[in-house]
Amino acid sequence: MMLKASLREAARSLAAAKQRSLLALLGIVIGIGSVIALVSMGTMAQRETLRQFMEMGTDVISIQEEQRREDRAGGAPPGFSLEDVLEMPARLASVRSVAPYASAFGELRKEGQRQSIPILGVTEGFLDMNKLALAEGRFISDLDVLMSHAVVGGNLAERLVKQGIIAGVGEDIYFDDRKLTVVGVLRPAAMGAMRPYECNEGLMLPISTVLRLSPQNTVRTVMARLEPGVTSSQAADEIRQYFSSLPRAGQVRITSPEQIIEHMERQSRMFTLLLGAIGSISLIVGGVGVMNVMLVSVSERKREIGIRRALGAQKKDIQWQFLIESVLLSLMGGFLGIVLGVGASFLIARYSQWQFEIIHGALVLGVGVSMAVGIFFGYYPARQAAALNPIQALRAE
Amino acid sequence: MSLFKLENIRKSFALGPVQVEVLKGVNLEVEAGELVSIMGTSGCGKSTLMNVIGFLDQPTSGRYLLEGRETSSLTDEELSTIRNKKIGFVFQQFNLLSRLTALENVCLPLIYRGLNEREQHRIAREMLAQVGMDERAGHKPTELSGGQQQRVAIARALAGSPSIILADEPTGALDTRVGQDIMNLFLELNSDKNITTILITHDPNIAAQCRRVVRMKDGKVAQSADQARGAP
Repeated sequence: MMLKASLREAARSLAAAKQRSLLALLGIVIGIGSVIALVSMGTMAQRETLRQFMEMGTDVISIQEEQRREDRAGGAPPGFSLEDVLEMPARLASVRSVAPYASAFGELRKEGQRQSIPILGVTEGFLDMNKLALAEGRFISDLDVLMSHAVVGGNLAERLVKQGIIAGVGEDIYFDDRKLTVVGVLRPAAMGAMRPYECNEGLMLPISTVLRLSPQNTVRTVMARLEPGVTSSQAADEIRQYFSSLPRAGQVRITSPEQIIEHMERQSRMFTLLLGAIGSISLIVGGVGVMNVMLVSVSERKREIGIRRALGAQKKDIQWQFLIESVLLSLMGGFLGIVLGVGASFLIARYSQWQFEIIHGALVLGVGVSMAVGIFFGYYPARQAAALNPIQALRAE
Repeated sequence: MSLFKLENIRKSFALGPVQVEVLKGVNLEVEAGELVSIMGTSGCGKSTLMNVIGFLDQPTSGRYLLEGRETSSLTDEELSTIRNKKIGFVFQQFNLLSRLTALENVCLPLIYRGLNEREQHRIAREMLAQVGMDERAGHKPTELSGGQQQRVAIARALAGSPSIILADEPTGALDTRVGQDIMNLFLELNSDKNITTILITHDPNIAAQCRRVVRMKDGKVAQSADQARGAP
C-alpha cells in the first residue's frame, strides 16, 4: 500500500531535520497541551461537584444570613440563633433535617510546629447531611456538649499523619491553648460548592464548644435536607417566611443545588469560549510554524521533487507526500501536546485534591485538531511542491 | 514502425519579453533497439531535446509520435504515466535520493506504479544484480563511489522496463576509466537486452562507441550518421 510507504518516507524526512521539526512543533505542542490541560481541569472540577451531589443528593440546600448594612459596620453579623435553627424541622413542612455550622480558624501546635487550620462547629446531623464517611472512630455526638472532642477531616488527617502530628483516634492535640481529643477521622470526600471545605481540610468540634471559644464565632450557615417531593423554591419560600417571622427578623440567602449546577454550567460555557480563543490563537501560531517548515522543506527538496516527477510521480503523488509529512508533523505535535496536557492536568488534579481522570474527549480533540492543523497549513506548501516545473526542479541545487 | 519519431519539433521559451527558439524544427526517428548518441556544443538545444523526448517538456509545435501514437495533447497526468512506464532517466549527477538506500532508490519508479512492496523489492534486486550492485543494495548513495552511484541510477532507470533509456552526460561526472565502465554497461544492456538507449554526450570517445551519432547544431539536427561500432 502506498500510504505505508508515504508515512515511512515522511517520518524519515522529518527525522532528517529533527531540530527544525521539533522547533516548529513547539507552537502546536503548547497549543494542544494547554487546551487539553484546561479542558481536563474544567471537566474534573465539574465532575467533582457532580460527584459531591451524587453522594449528598440534590435535596440539600444551604441557608446563609444576608448581611445587613448596619451589621457590616459593626463587624461580625450576629448569626442565627441555634434554637431557631434546630426548631426548623419541627416547624416547617418542607424541611426534614438541619445541620447548622459555625466556622473559625485556630492554630494547631505540636512540638514546636504550628499551623493554622480551619475548624467547624457542627451537630451530630452534619455527618448524615453531608453523607460523610468515617475512616475510624466516631463523629461528634449531640451529647458532646462543650466537650473538647474533635473529628479530623480526611485530607487534613492524611497530612497530619504524614507530619507525625497524629497517629489516630484517642490522641490529644493542642489547639489554641486547648487540649482536644481526637475521637474520629473522616474519609476524604468530593468537594463542590455545597459541602464546606472544612470536611476535608479542617477539624470538626461540637458546635457548642466552638460558639464558646470566642464571641466572634456565630452560626452563619445552615444546611437543610428537604422532605421528599419538595422543590427547592417551595422550601426557599417557606424558609424565608420563617426567618422573617422570627422576633429578630432577618433576611436569608438560599443556595440550591440547581443554582450551583447552573452557575457551574455558565462558568463552563465561558471557560469553553475563552479556551477556544486561546487554543485557536496558539494553534494558528503553531500552524504557521508548520507551514514555514514545510515551505523550507519544499524549497530544499526541489531536486528530489524533480527526480520523483521524472520517475513518473504525478502531481498528486507529490502533493500527498508533503501533505502526509505535514500531517505527521502536526500529529507528533499533537501527541506531545497530549502528553504535556495530561501531565499538567495530573499535577493540577493532585494539587487540588481532585480525582484525576484522563478526559477522552480532550484527547480526541487534540488528535483531531492537530490533524486538521496539519492538513490546513500543509495544503499550501504541498500545492507548491506539486506545481513545480519538473525541469526547473531537477536543475535546482 | 519506429519506436519514436520527431517531426519538425520546435520549442521556444519566453526570456523576458523576447521569445527564444531553442529547437528550430528537429526531425529524428529512432528504431527500437538502437544505441544513439546526441552530440553538440552547449546551448545547441540537446538538453531541451532530451526533455522533450523524455516527456519532461512539451514542444511548442511539431509532432512527437511514440510507438506510433501522437503525444502532443497529453495531460500532465498522462505525461507522468508515460515517463513512469516508457522512459528511464540517467543523469550526469546520478540524482539518487540521499536518504534512501540503493534498493529503495531503485524502487522509486515502481512505487508510482502502485506495485506492492514485495514486488518492488524483487524487481529492484534483479535490476541491481544486472548492474553488478546487488551486494550494495542496503547502502546509501553517500557510501558509494561515483561509478557505483551511476550503476544504481541505471538500475533505477531499468526498473520500470522502459522503452527508452535517456542518459544525459552519464559519464560527465566520472573519470575516464569509470566512465568507460559505465559506457560498457550501456553497450552490454543494448546488445544483450536490446534496450533502446539515447546518450547525450560531449565526449567524442563515448559517442564513437555508438552505432549512430546525431550531431546537433543551433537547434537542428545537423548530421545523423550510422557508423561502424568502434572498439572500446
